Amino acid sequence: MAGYLLNRLWQSVVLLVIVSIIGFAVLNLTPGGPLSQFALTPGMTQEAMDRIAEQMGLNRPLPVQYLDWGWRLLQGDWGTSYRDGQPVLDVIGRHITATLLLMGTSTAFSIAIGTWIGIHGATRPYSIFDYTVTIGAMVALSIPTFWFGLVGIYIFTLELGWLPAGNMYTIGDGSVLDYLHHLIMPSLVLSLVNVAVWSRYMRTATLDVINQEFVKTARAKGLTERRVLMKHVVGNAMVPMITLAGMQLPSILGGALVTETVFTWPGMGRLFLDSLGYSDYPVVMGLLMVSAILVLLGSLIADLLVALVDPRIRVS
Amino acid sequence: MSALAIPAQTPWWRSRGVRRFARHRLAIIGLVMITLLTLACIVGPYLLPYDSLYIDLRARFAPPLTGYHFLGTDPLGRDVAARLLEAGRISLLVGFFAMLLSTMIGTLIGVVSGYYRGAVGATLMRIVDAFLSFPSIFLLLALAALLQPTPIMITIIIALTSWMEVARIVEAEVRSLRERDFVQASRMMGLSSAHIMFREILPNAMGPIIVAATLTVARAILLEAYVSFLGYGIQPPLPSWGNMLNGAQQYLSTAPWLAIIPGITITIAVTSFNFIGDGLRDALDVRSDHM
Amino acid sequence: MRMTDQKAKFAATRRQALKMLGITTAAGVFMPNLLGRPAFGATPPETPTGRIVVGFSQEPTVFNPLMPRIEVDDGVHFSLFDTLFRIAPDGSFTPGLATEVPSIENGGISEDGLEWRVKLRDDVKWHDGEAFTAEDVKYTLELIVNPNFRSWRTTGHTLVRDITVVSPTEITWKMESAFAPYLSFLADTFIVPEHILGAAEDPNTAPFNNAPVGTGPFKWGSRTAGDHVELIANTEYFGEGPYVERLIYKYIPDLTVLYTQFKSGDIDIIGSQYITPDNYEEAKTLPGKVITTVSTATVESIYLNMERPQFKDLAVRQAIYAAIDKQTIIDALYYGLPTPTETYMPQESAYFNPELPKQSYDVEKAKQLLDEAGWVAGAGGIREKDGVRLSFTNSTTSGNHLREQAQQFIQQSLAEVGIEMKISNLPPAVMWGEFWTQSQFDTAMVGVIFMIGADPDVTYRFHSEAIPAQGGRGANTGQYQNPEVDALLEEGGKTFDQEKRKAIYREVQAKIRADLPFLPLFQNMTVRGRDAGIEGVEPNINTRIDTWNTGSYYWAS
Repeated sequence: MAGYLLNRLWQSVVLLVIVSIIGFAVLNLTPGGPLSQFALTPGMTQEAMDRIAEQMGLNRPLPVQYLDWGWRLLQGDWGTSYRDGQPVLDVIGRHITATLLLMGTSTAFSIAIGTWIGIHGATRPYSIFDYTVTIGAMVALSIPTFWFGLVGIYIFTLELGWLPAGNMYTIGDGSVLDYLHHLIMPSLVLSLVNVAVWSRYMRTATLDVINQEFVKTARAKGLTERRVLMKHVVGNAMVPMITLAGMQLPSILGGALVTETVFTWPGMGRLFLDSLGYSDYPVVMGLLMVSAILVLLGSLIADLLVALVDPRIRVS
Repeated sequence: MSALAIPAQTPWWRSRGVRRFARHRLAIIGLVMITLLTLACIVGPYLLPYDSLYIDLRARFAPPLTGYHFLGTDPLGRDVAARLLEAGRISLLVGFFAMLLSTMIGTLIGVVSGYYRGAVGATLMRIVDAFLSFPSIFLLLALAALLQPTPIMITIIIALTSWMEVARIVEAEVRSLRERDFVQASRMMGLSSAHIMFREILPNAMGPIIVAATLTVARAILLEAYVSFLGYGIQPPLPSWGNMLNGAQQYLSTAPWLAIIPGITITIAVTSFNFIGDGLRDALDVRSDHM
Repeated sequence: MRMTDQKAKFAATRRQALKMLGITTAAGVFMPNLLGRPAFGATPPETPTGRIVVGFSQEPTVFNPLMPRIEVDDGVHFSLFDTLFRIAPDGSFTPGLATEVPSIENGGISEDGLEWRVKLRDDVKWHDGEAFTAEDVKYTLELIVNPNFRSWRTTGHTLVRDITVVSPTEITWKMESAFAPYLSFLADTFIVPEHILGAAEDPNTAPFNNAPVGTGPFKWGSRTAGDHVELIANTEYFGEGPYVERLIYKYIPDLTVLYTQFKSGDIDIIGSQYITPDNYEEAKTLPGKVITTVSTATVESIYLNMERPQFKDLAVRQAIYAAIDKQTIIDALYYGLPTPTETYMPQESAYFNPELPKQSYDVEKAKQLLDEAGWVAGAGGIREKDGVRLSFTNSTTSGNHLREQAQQFIQQSLAEVGIEMKISNLPPAVMWGEFWTQSQFDTAMVGVIFMIGADPDVTYRFHSEAIPAQGGRGANTGQYQNPEVDALLEEGGKTFDQEKRKAIYREVQAKIRADLPFLPLFQNMTVRGRDAGIEGVEPNINTRIDTWNTGSYYWAS
């Protein structure tokens, strides 16, 4: 187990290095830069711009900049944001809660609904319900998330006036109800795709389990269908779901970012876009690294959980 | 997706045959829809009374079914129907070529890393994992935000961020095939590695590749839409389904059709490809590990 | 930008002022109380009461006012800090931390303009209770030019020598050479506390930068990154106000949502970048809101890269200009809000030249100009001459919808004349990077504030030695060169007599209008909105942001 963990860890580190090199190269090899937003400032001269670039260390050779960044990272220094001079980790930390709130709510919701749909469909395979849901899931996977958000805003904000068009809370309110009110639309929009994914996987997993010998045995022992389902089928079908949860993390994160932009949700996606617009390289790099770490961590935890839940699987 | 679950006494309409037919019917619906859409995009612009680029500021924000503006006009008074079809050409082409390119990259990397295990294979697969471990939308946006956003560039960027799935599938396939007898035989015959990889093994892995490629078109169309929606994609005056949505948010209350029409079109196109991919998966009997 | 001689009277500059009025028109009904104080009725409360939420579409993130900053940062700085003197909406200077605005008349500036003496207030306290003194001013002026400090603009400050603190309320310095616009730069230089920033190990990363301490009407409260900044009334403030207890700058990254939240009352004042023109008609009908249109100093134009062979020929520039249907762009795309212009100078400025020839949309004239100049139709109907095709690319920030619409409209107009305009828009970080500063564009559609405060000096924009792409140190990115304009600009820098200056800068405008290095479209008009209960809001065309006098804001009870 320890050896396995060490191996996974080592692989993750290699991955992170590759991620950082790709990210750094992409960001720094392209034209433009963080000073471009001052180019139109009244009274701003090229002289001043050159001086600021020099002070920020922007005109050093790229490999030097990368090694400097990497060396500091190893010492726990993620750099400081070009935008507000704050440590990158603080900046990200202040936005990550909003994203996790959105992701968490939506994931909980979509797992609940998706699991139910999946099991319901698998126990009544090829019923009208099953067909509808299968087709529905495929259509849901095809709808652009941001557009679905726009349609949501059009109906529920502009036409009906029920839900706010964006933001996480109303200034001066900030009660739990207020948060929930703002959370409804973005989390439902984000759930759309996830429910589709979950229900399809759950359906397949449940179907796989239903046909196995031990389920037949349980049925033969005279247990009620409901008991068989709850005790034997669902439990076992959930195991691959854990792995899936780990695998789905990048796409849930990506989806959250998309949703954030439509609903001006102050999370990591918003921060990413703002930082890109500003060429705030330290923060962009930080976000790339943090999301990569989140994803790696997610799949690692999922693997460990599977091993814990299912004694038949031995990690090696 | 095991079919063994069906109890023996199922009525006829639940039989395996019907199920397959139903599945394929979806694929056929998808195929018909996408063919019609493509035809409309190719021929349509010639049949409509308006040019997609013709600006008429007196006719701005006309709602659908105003005169010959079947789908209304945009903020510059251009015909939405004409733009939608013109945009379809670009979006579909971007989707198609992004698929071609990403499938080629993915296949190449997948075959090589599956065939050469050891250091080469491991390194390549680590790179695949690295690309997979950040949300591709991050990478896509970072690239698009910093490069000249021409249709060709957008195609390349989308391909660069969506080849990993194919690489993984191909790698797994090749790894299992390389131990097969016919590969061993080829090796004994002294055929070159390149020959074995691309002439012997690859044809046997075509099924999963075709399925993955179809789904990649769907994905590429969605990605283009998203990047263009944020203003980093295809630039006006060239229309694309995504950039028709860019700015639509601003007119959501006054001209909702500007947001609704392109969105529905995107959904139809993507759904079609997903249906086709699903049907192909069944037809080619590919295991459905990957949706 | 070097000024050597100074014989004229500085006082004239101040007294006669640079009559720059932020023209304000009431929407719907006529409202007598739109500018500043109401004529009758509401008076500010005795103690700060209530809360005002100002919405910005960009996030203020820089709180050290000496570091590189954007408009919305200014917006917050004006509430937290003070300058030695402020610039009023009419272009005149009024005392801030200084007791009077230095001039040759009052002895604050020597006859040759080289020696400055500023007297300071003795009743000003920093937000932490420490007294404000001349040491703080000295520290500020020195920090700006400290090579280790990442400061913003240093223009003018680099000329300052021998700063001497005479007493806690008096400071003097010498200028290496006389520089008339320095007063304008000082009016935009916020003073920072020496006892805090000076004690920090590195002012670039001092804790101060995220918990600023100023002298302004509001104290730092808290910041929720990515969301809002909250300021609290400084009851010890030496100047007017503050009348509200809490002032919140809320960041809403989308203009549509910004407007929606203004409608719903979540924000009380819609700040930069205000209400989009397409919502103007609807906004006017909103109950309980005051909607005004306010002219800004931003001039929208098409910048030409004068080093491109197509644009070397004046006839081409004139033809392109004649082929642009300016009025239709303004009326249809911008809802008739902006004012067409022929120059870079805002019409509210005292230096504005009203006698420039008016452009008129005339396709036939455009064709005739090109025909006469020998540009004849070639392949694809595109005109050409001596192997140069009349084809170019136009670029702007991608995602700016109104500009993109205008671009496409102009593209269609130019095609009728046989000119091909391609559109290639770039993300902001790329567009305004080397692409812009090193003149790599053909043409660019851009909104520029040419003024520094109310000062008309445009040496850095139009002098031939200010071209970065040719090794210059300014911001003449269109690579415009005209020896006569150079001479006029140099003379204008040396001249301190208001009337003579006017003549010079009007001449500059006339020359530039004749040369057309950029094609002026219009001067921007913004649509601003606030809750009808808020008083004290006053636009100021000489500042980059509307929240320059938040100390005067109050809720009419």
